[in-house]
Amino acid sequence: MAANFASDCEGFNRRNFLRIGAGAGLLGLSLPEILKLEAQSAAKRNGVQSSKKADSIIMVWLAGGPATIDMWDLKPDAPEGIRGEFKPINTSAAGIQISEHLPKMAKVADKTTIVRSIYHSIPSHGPATVFMTTGNKPTPALQYPSMGSLVSKLAKGEEGVPSYVSFSDIRGGTAGSSGYLGTAYNPFLVEGNAGGDGKGKATLKVRGIQLPTDFTLEELNNRDKLLAGFDSTFREVDKKADLIQGFDAFHQQALDILRSDKTRKAFDLTQEKPETRARYGADNFGQSALAARRLVESGVRFVTISIGGWDTHSKTFESHSKKLQPTLDNTLSALISDLSDRGMLDRTMVYCAGEFGRTPKVNKNVGRDHWARSMAVVLAGGGFKRGYAHGTTDGQGMAAATDPCLPDDVSSTIFANLGIDPKTELNSSTGRPIQLFREGTVVDKLLA
Amino acid sequence: MKSCYQWKQVLAVCVVVLFGLHDTARAEVQLPDGTVIKTVDFEKHIVGLFGRSGCNLGSCHGSFQGKNGFRLSLFGYEAEKDGVSVSREMNGRRIDLNNPDNSLLLLKAMGLTEHAGGRKFSAGSWQHKLIKDWIVQGAPLTTGSGEIKSLDVTPKEIPFNKPGEKINLKVMVSFADGTSENITALSEFRTLDDGVAEVSSSGLVTSNRAGDTSIIVAYRGTVFPVRAMVPLDVKPGYKYPSVPEVNYIDKLVFSKLKRLNIEPSGLSGDAEFLRRITIDVIGTLPSPNDIRTFVADKDTNKRTKKIDELLKHPMHAALWATKLSDITGNNTDAIENPQNLRVKKSQMWHDWLRKRVAENMTYDKIVEGVLCATSRDGESPEDYVVKVNKLDEELTKGFVESYSEKPTLDLFWRKQGAVTLDQWGEKTAAAFMGVRLECAQCHKHPFDRWTQADYRSYANVFTQLAYGASPEAKKVIDAENAERKKNATGTNNNNISVVKEVYLTSVVAGKGGAKGLTHPETNLPLVPKALGGPEIKMEAGVDARRKLFEWLKTPDNPYFARSFVNRVWGHYFGVGIVDPLDDFSIANPPSNPALLDALAKDFIDSGFDIRKLEKTILLSRVYNLTYVPNETNQFDDNNFSHCFIRPMMAEVVVDVLCAATGMVENFGAEAPKNARAIEVGASRVNSSISYAFRIFGRPPRTAACDCERSMEPALPQKLYLMADTNLQIKVESQGNMIKKILAENSDDQKALEEMFLSTLSRLPNDREKKHFEEYRTKSADRKTAFVDTLWALLNTKEFIFNH
Repeated sequence: MAANFASDCEGFNRRNFLRIGAGAGLLGLSLPEILKLEAQSAAKRNGVQSSKKADSIIMVWLAGGPATIDMWDLKPDAPEGIRGEFKPINTSAAGIQISEHLPKMAKVADKTTIVRSIYHSIPSHGPATVFMTTGNKPTPALQYPSMGSLVSKLAKGEEGVPSYVSFSDIRGGTAGSSGYLGTAYNPFLVEGNAGGDGKGKATLKVRGIQLPTDFTLEELNNRDKLLAGFDSTFREVDKKADLIQGFDAFHQQALDILRSDKTRKAFDLTQEKPETRARYGADNFGQSALAARRLVESGVRFVTISIGGWDTHSKTFESHSKKLQPTLDNTLSALISDLSDRGMLDRTMVYCAGEFGRTPKVNKNVGRDHWARSMAVVLAGGGFKRGYAHGTTDGQGMAAATDPCLPDDVSSTIFANLGIDPKTELNSSTGRPIQLFREGTVVDKLLA
Repeated sequence: MKSCYQWKQVLAVCVVVLFGLHDTARAEVQLPDGTVIKTVDFEKHIVGLFGRSGCNLGSCHGSFQGKNGFRLSLFGYEAEKDGVSVSREMNGRRIDLNNPDNSLLLLKAMGLTEHAGGRKFSAGSWQHKLIKDWIVQGAPLTTGSGEIKSLDVTPKEIPFNKPGEKINLKVMVSFADGTSENITALSEFRTLDDGVAEVSSSGLVTSNRAGDTSIIVAYRGTVFPVRAMVPLDVKPGYKYPSVPEVNYIDKLVFSKLKRLNIEPSGLSGDAEFLRRITIDVIGTLPSPNDIRTFVADKDTNKRTKKIDELLKHPMHAALWATKLSDITGNNTDAIENPQNLRVKKSQMWHDWLRKRVAENMTYDKIVEGVLCATSRDGESPEDYVVKVNKLDEELTKGFVESYSEKPTLDLFWRKQGAVTLDQWGEKTAAAFMGVRLECAQCHKHPFDRWTQADYRSYANVFTQLAYGASPEAKKVIDAENAERKKNATGTNNNNISVVKEVYLTSVVAGKGGAKGLTHPETNLPLVPKALGGPEIKMEAGVDARRKLFEWLKTPDNPYFARSFVNRVWGHYFGVGIVDPLDDFSIANPPSNPALLDALAKDFIDSGFDIRKLEKTILLSRVYNLTYVPNETNQFDDNNFSHCFIRPMMAEVVVDVLCAATGMVENFGAEAPKNARAIEVGASRVNSSISYAFRIFGRPPRTAACDCERSMEPALPQKLYLMADTNLQIKVESQGNMIKKILAENSDDQKALEEMFLSTLSRLPNDREKKHFEEYRTKSADRKTAFVDTLWALLNTKEFIFNH
């Protein structure tokens, strides 16, 4: 677009960015390469790049806000009415205990990092989800991009493979999306069925990058030939308009992606041994986790899988012991040990979190309500310290007692592991420079 | 580490000795352009040099955290603080009075000791001499010595004759102390379009190709734009053709083009015009019959008639209700609880705007209804509660249209989350003035006039605003809410609909009122003030927002009319006269100021008649030009010499795809049945189409401005058109237009013509007919050939871009 340029507080000319984008596209650079250029220029402006310890992230999202006091940070010595019904068990990590309903996670605890001192101040689903998934406290004035969108903008991608894939639209798309980065950095969404029984054929595909089931590659190629004969109207202006040239470049890239079988293969879960599929769990969540691992193998940088039901205002212990924890235990432990067995855990991070914790005090409906002042998250792989529990909460689990940290800090640490300086500044749609994580600092103790 | 530092010091001294500058004698400093500075002043010269050298950028020491412990004010707008940072912090190590060349400030800037920012200038350079002379003087600081009265750049408009010429800019500054100086060497320069003209760091401008752009000159946060006009190089004896003019728009656009030797393209053909204007005005495609009728019509007045017809079309009001929903921030997720009614309230918001556009209510009246909204509009609390009860009752059944009858749009102010004063300031400045204020929240706006005090004074205009129950209505509302809570089922308080109202408190800000924002430096109360306008006296019982509104609509208001005519212009040309549309600032001047002024004046004179403004624009020859460029105007992208090919709004993309395939989209429960995309009020929908909305840039409307709507093409858009199920269903459906076309046209070529008309709004040319014929013979059957053809047509650039 003409003079599509915003003066910014940096004295940085946004048009230059666009020039790099559009211009490079014309020279036949792939989108990832264009992104790399942008990332380099961003990094250049922000000094030295931090060292890179991981390439990818799988975010395991526990929608609704898990009662982590009954999972990762039990309080057996707290008074009745707070301590809950579950017993702590020992794990493979010395000195770390977790819930008795997470026995498989206990076995892989020597590979995980439990952060027990993370907290924030928003006990409301929507904004808390935004906080946790963006690493920035939400403000009405600016929509922060999700971490996945930041990764797809700043990390080097793989040709023919999307950088950011999400198995569900978190909170109807109000979280997990690209915010001020613009539509190009939204997640590619997975649709279809993962083959819930763990045996059947999965019909998963990433929306928008794979042909619909009854649309063959041959048909696409035929139609594209027909299209070529109808698409010459703007010939006279082709060479001059960025818009036209840009769209032509995207056309070629789109064909490359649709013809590439990398993503399609990633979703072909029948390639896996039946034992592996069973190990991940014979439900959609388990099979999604397996597909997530396969996507990472094919070059996807950020995958979000999600499981709901954690908003346990009533009968929390029943839900947790019968369904929630066993399901998570199965799948998360399978994911971590599978990544480890395949030698992928060193370069892949797993981040398991929900929007907040739940009240230490059990309510009259034997439930726990929203509580953001204390919660726990689980990290694994990448550059994270293994078999480690970071920080503590007070005796009643009300608030962080030692090493308190915020979602921004955890996000910053994740990005440091990716080799992306968390203090990198990007421009908002109005040209205002915004630091990736406004208030975050890297938590050195979390790093191996 | 320490030894390294010492070693560098030794090196520094050596270098300095080499250049013979180790003495502490005063010396005049000669700048590269010959200007001589007799006595270096910190504020005037050193801070200027910081700016020119990039030291005080936000990415360097101008950042709020500073860099490596050294913080400068962003762009040097707080010279006094910079003086303290430089001379007093770090135990004074930044300045060494005994051995000036040993000052950390110089060692770092000259790269003689570790400096992440690298070497900014070398030893012995004029910059070195400048800083050194100041240190030799004893590093004096005189607060306010550099206060700027005005900046003047010559020439104000660069009269290039052709591409490839060079000219030096000269920057003069008048200081408040009465002196003036040539500070060209201490200024920063940048171009808005380096394709047209580029500028060096010393202010040398080079013309590259025909067109025009602005060179932005900045000296210590004061900005001065200079227009650079580069005419096309023409052969001797070249005579500019005479171009017919319909109205003043043509006169002003063409006279500028003439100065640039750029010739406008010819008139668009009838079919081209009809497609463009139908998309622009009512957000859909003309039908094949519309096209045939229009093209065959012999009436010389037919374009005027079509313009009148379309401007009265109900979908025209829907389209502008969508645009005004962006501008006023109709964000479904931010609307007050209960959550289950938010979608319907977003629709009420859209309907309220739509009704007014349909009635051609004048723009000032519409804004008044938004800006000065209250919930009761003067009604008694009892009547209000009755009304709310009725509305809530109706809302449980479905979408409600009666809200449109309410005089004011109180939904604009009814947010679930707390909205701070400064956010109201930012929202209203962007919505009704086209000004982006947010930079001034934390520091003086770097490229505009706004200070933090301006920002906060403006925010204080909204101190009276309250949301809850006013003292006079409290009893009635509390009683009603107690009743509602008693009868509520379920436990989630968020889902209980309670009665609340937007009202005005009697709090008077600035007079010990606890609510107002205070001065950033002195922390004293700030009197509310219109942005760039008069103080607004707060009086109990008088709406300060109304006073703001009265100021906005005065004929000499620089923003109100201009920002809106620019938005309308931007909609019809794809590029604003000020572009981006909501970035009215000194550093982003209009490409054609005379045109913007004339449109604004005409708009004000008409009493803010929106439809008249639109008609004037649509009737102009400029709007009626073809998109096909000529030799002279092929690179023009801001002077409107031809129709610019441009993307469509996300909602229009969805509607146009429906029109072209003969299908109807289902927006789910978030929209009234059978609505078109431009009729949907909610900022999010739950159906499959939300994906298309997102990738084509429908904004979530968290900010009240146009800036969130992303119109840039992106890869997912192309993938959507080629392969997304949501669209492929439409292409392959048994119920789409293919069946009808094939049934009505047994001849393949006739059917092809029909398909071209209903997608590209034109007939196929011979080459295209032949291309189809070849494809047809290879296809399995007639239906397949046409399904493939429909797919191919929807995937052309001609289809997806308006032109």
